[in-house]
Amino acid sequence: MKEYLKEMLNSFFISVTFINLAMLVLGLLLQPDRQFGYEIFIYPLIYGLIGIIPGLIVRTDKELSIPQFVIRKVFQLTLIVVLMVAFIFGGSPVNERTIAAAIGVSVSVIIIYVLVNVIGWFMDLKTAKNLMNDLKVYQSQIGETVEKELMSKVPHGH
Amino acid sequence: MELKVKTISEKETEYIEIGCHKYDENIKEIVKIIKLHHGSVDGYKEEEQYQIPISDIYYIEAVDERIFIYLKKECYESRRRLYEFEDSLGDRGFVRISKSLIVNMMKIVSIKPALNGRFVCKLKNGEDVIISRKYVSGLKEKLQEKR
Repeated sequence: MKEYLKEMLNSFFISVTFINLAMLVLGLLLQPDRQFGYEIFIYPLIYGLIGIIPGLIVRTDKELSIPQFVIRKVFQLTLIVVLMVAFIFGGSPVNERTIAAAIGVSVSVIIIYVLVNVIGWFMDLKTAKNLMNDLKVYQSQIGETVEKELMSKVPHGH
Repeated sequence: MELKVKTISEKETEYIEIGCHKYDENIKEIVKIIKLHHGSVDGYKEEEQYQIPISDIYYIEAVDERIFIYLKKECYESRRRLYEFEDSLGDRGFVRISKSLIVNMMKIVSIKPALNGRFVCKLKNGEDVIISRKYVSGLKEKLQEKR
């Protein structure tokens, strides 16, 4: 659970960073002249929170196979898109402008989701490298004393 | 055959060296005895019981409530439970890396992230075993506790 919470927090803060960027890009493209108050600063955090809710729903302690994992990820992404679009555009009139904005938001959500997962993978790569470094130290410290010493001394070809 | 025993300093790693003309069955038997002295567990294959040197074990896996001990190429069944192995081999370089698997850390060659949020562990015999995310912190602690 502790590992999972750590992972969720990582995803949350990475998402918030990208949501800020997405809001900047989408805002400049769709409504460049619009003015905002200070309340705008809370929105990336709210969107970030909405983004992690589906992760809590699809969470499992079972060890998933790769197809099961991919299905869960697709389901999670779909839920995030639906929740995000519902939160942002819920109650708004359906017109061309809203549809364009909803598509923009959906694409942004997908891009952010992929980026968060790619960054997560690079963080795992770093974890793996750290584990390998620790493992090398461990193996050199412990050493396969008997086997190593014996096998290195036996004649070649055996 | 001459038998030599010499005392070395505490700083050096203890070792046993055999000088032989040929690595024959006799020498293999001596090596086996030394390894057994290093610790062994019971394993069963076709109803026969074997003594398996701990240092030869790559990993121990639970499959459908049966426990299997994997060596470089061979596999033996055990009548002990996985948690018993975890307790008894925990201080012999073994660590649990998933719900159903305990690995010998001396047999790990590489660790890489997998696409499904887990880690793939390559062993010296070329086999891959999976490290669940849940057990990564335990592995990390285990690797650092000897420092």
